[in-house]
Amino acid sequence: MITDIVQQLLNGVLVGSTYALIGIGFTLIWGFMRRFNVAYGATAIGAAFLGLAAHRAAPSLPLVVPFLVAMAGGAILGYAVDLVSFRYLPKDYELAPLMSTLGVLFLVEEAINHTTEGRPQDFPALIQTSLHTGQLFGTGPYFVRGDYVVVFVLSVGVVAGLYWVLFRTRLGLALRATAQQPVAAQLVGISPIRSDAQAFMLTGALAGAAGMLLSMGVGTATAELATSYTVRGLTVAVIGGLGSIPGAIVGGLVIGVIEFEALGFLGIGYRDIFAYLALFAVLVVRPQGLLGRRVG
Amino acid sequence: MRGIRRRFVLMIGVLALVLAACGEGGGDGNGPEAAPKAPAAGKETLKIGGLWAMTGIGQSFGKNASAVFQMAIDEINAQGGVELADGRKLPLEGMVYDEGCPSPEPGIAATRKAAGDPVVIMLGPNCSSVAEPVFGILQKTLDDPNDTGLQLPFFTDGAIKAGLAKISPWAFRNVPSEAEMYGVLFQHLKDTTSYKTVGLGTEIDFAHSKSTADNAIKPAAEKAGFTLVADEGWKLTDTDFSTQASKIREAKPDVVVTASHPFTTCGFLKELGRQGFAPKALVALTSSLTAETIEGCPKEAEGMIGPSSFAPVNPEAAAVADKVAKEYSGFVDIHSAPVYENLMLLKDLFKSAGVEGRPDTVAQDRRRIRDQLEKTTEFKGLLGTIKFHHELGGEVEKPWLVSQVKGGKFVLQWVPPQFEAVIEKS
Repeated sequence: MITDIVQQLLNGVLVGSTYALIGIGFTLIWGFMRRFNVAYGATAIGAAFLGLAAHRAAPSLPLVVPFLVAMAGGAILGYAVDLVSFRYLPKDYELAPLMSTLGVLFLVEEAINHTTEGRPQDFPALIQTSLHTGQLFGTGPYFVRGDYVVVFVLSVGVVAGLYWVLFRTRLGLALRATAQQPVAAQLVGISPIRSDAQAFMLTGALAGAAGMLLSMGVGTATAELATSYTVRGLTVAVIGGLGSIPGAIVGGLVIGVIEFEALGFLGIGYRDIFAYLALFAVLVVRPQGLLGRRVG
Repeated sequence: MRGIRRRFVLMIGVLALVLAACGEGGGDGNGPEAAPKAPAAGKETLKIGGLWAMTGIGQSFGKNASAVFQMAIDEINAQGGVELADGRKLPLEGMVYDEGCPSPEPGIAATRKAAGDPVVIMLGPNCSSVAEPVFGILQKTLDDPNDTGLQLPFFTDGAIKAGLAKISPWAFRNVPSEAEMYGVLFQHLKDTTSYKTVGLGTEIDFAHSKSTADNAIKPAAEKAGFTLVADEGWKLTDTDFSTQASKIREAKPDVVVTASHPFTTCGFLKELGRQGFAPKALVALTSSLTAETIEGCPKEAEGMIGPSSFAPVNPEAAAVADKVAKEYSGFVDIHSAPVYENLMLLKDLFKSAGVEGRPDTVAQDRRRIRDQLEKTTEFKGLLGTIKFHHELGGEVEKPWLVSQVKGGKFVLQWVPPQFEAVIEKS
C-alpha cells in the first residue's frame, strides 16, 4: 500500500513537472498582459511538429538540434499569435483575444492534422535504447522512467533559464516594467508593442521546449494534444495562481500527484474527477490560487 | 501608423494564405466538398454522398474512405457510369461531407444538409459515436406519416459498434461482427497455444473501443477459457500510460489486448516497451490494424495481430489496395475497403431498384434504393461473398481473417476455417 502510494507520488511529480512547463506559459502571458492565450498549447504542439520535421530531415544530428528548432519555431508561432490575436484587437474587449486565440488553437490543430493526415507521429525517444531493454531505473520496489527524469531535469533548467532572462537581463527588466507599469515603462522609452512581441516570443520558445519534451516523453503525438495541453495548462496555472511562476510549478506537481494517486487507487474513471475537484476546491477556498496574489 | 496598417494588411494576407492552405481538401463541417475528379459542370450525374471524418482526430479514417470512394467512382465512370431504370447511363458524382468525429453535432448537421442535397444514398460515417446519433435522426418507422425522421438511406462502411443498423430501417451496414471475430480469434489462440491469461487496456471514452472491449473482447476471452488478470483503462487523449502499463506488467498476462485507437495504442505499447514487458501475444482492436499504427509506433507494433475483414490476399483486393495507395494517397483497410464493396453493389443495384436519377425523383429514388437494399441477400466483397442479415436490421456477415504486423507491413496470419474456401490466398 505504502509502496504504491510512493510509486504514484514519484510518477505524479515527474509527469506533473511537464504540466508545470505548460502551465508556466499560460501564467507568464497572464502576468505580462492580463490576458489568456488559449493558443499556448497549440504553439507547443505546432513547435514540436516543426522539431520533428527537423529531426526527420536530418536524423543523424543530435536531438538538441530539433529541440532548438522547436524553440525557434515556438518563438515564431508565439509572435504570430501576438500579431493575429492581440496586437490589433481592441484592448477594451477582454474576450476578443480569448476567442481569437481559441481560433488559433483550432487552426493550428487542423493545420497539423492536414499535414499529418490525422495520423499519430512517432517522436524520437529522449533516451535512445533498443526496444524492451527497459528505460527505467530505481531502487527497491520503486522505479521511475529515465526519460521523465530527463524531462524533469530539463524542465528545471528551462525554468532556471527563464528566471535568468526575467531577472538578470535588460529584456526581462523591460518585460517586467511593461507588465507592472506600462505607462511608466513607455515614459522611459520601452515600447509596449515590442515588449509584448518579446513576451510572446519568449513564451513561444518555452512552449516549443515544452512541446518537444512532452512529445518525446510520450513517444507519439497528434494535433489533438494541443487541446489536452491547453486544458491542463490552464488548470495548472489557475490552481497555482495566475501570474505566478512558482505557482504554476506547484500547480503542475499538485495536479500530477492527484491524478496519479486517483488513477492508481481508484482507476481511470476517477482521475479527472479528483483533478477538477481540486481545481474547484482551490477556487472556492483560495480563488487567487495557491501562490497567487489576492487582487483588490 | 502607416507601418502598423501595412503590417496589419500583411498579417491578414498571411492568415488568408494559411486558411486557404488549410482549407485545401478539408471540409467545413457541413457543406460537401467537391470531389477531386467531378464530372464536367452542367453534366447530369447521379450523386452519392459520403459522410466521413475529414477533419479532427479521426480524419485518417475519413481520408482513406474518401480516397477509396473517389477511386471506385472513377472506375465506375470509366466504364460508362451506372445504368438507370429507363436504360440511361449516368456518371456518378461523389459529395463528401465532414462528420467531425468524435463529436456527433457536425455529423448530424452534415446529414441534414445532405438530406437537402440531391444525393440518393449516403456512405459512412467512420465513427460509431457519430453513426449512433446520425441514425437516430433517420425515420424509425417506414411509411409512418407521424415519423418525421429523415428518409435518406445510409450504407455504412466504418462505424463498427454492434447493432447500429437496428436504429433505423434506412440504415444498412457492411461491417464485420467484432463479437464473432474476437470469439473465433480467442478460441484459436486457446487451441493453438498454451496461453492462459489476458491483460486488457481499453480507451474508455471512445464508443467503439469501450463497447468492443465490454461486449466482444472480454466475453470472447472468457468464453475461450482465458483468465482476465488485468483490466486497465485510459482516455483518448492521454499521454501517460505508466500506471496502466505497470499494472498489466505486474499481472504478467500471456496475451495483452489493446481496445484502443492508434494514438493511445502506440503510447501504451511504447510504455510497455519502456517497462521491459513483452507479452507472448499482442492483440489489437480492429481499428488499430491500420497504417496509422505502423506509422505511429512501427517497432512496438511488430507482431501485433488482430481480426480484419480486409487484406490484399487476392488479385482484386491487392489491385484495389495498390491503386488507392499509388493514385489516391489512401490506405485500404477494414474501414475503407467496404466503401469499394458498397459502391460496386450500388452500381448494379440502381437499375433493378428502379432509380430514375432525375432532380425531381430524388426522394423516390432514395426509397427505391433502401427497398432494394432490403431485398438484397448477398453481394460480392473483396474477400468473398457478403451476406445480408436483414433479420438483424441491415447487418452483414462477411469473410475475415487475422492480420499481423511484420516488418512494418500487414501480413496474413491466419484464416478461420469457415472462410478458407472463400478467401483466395495469394
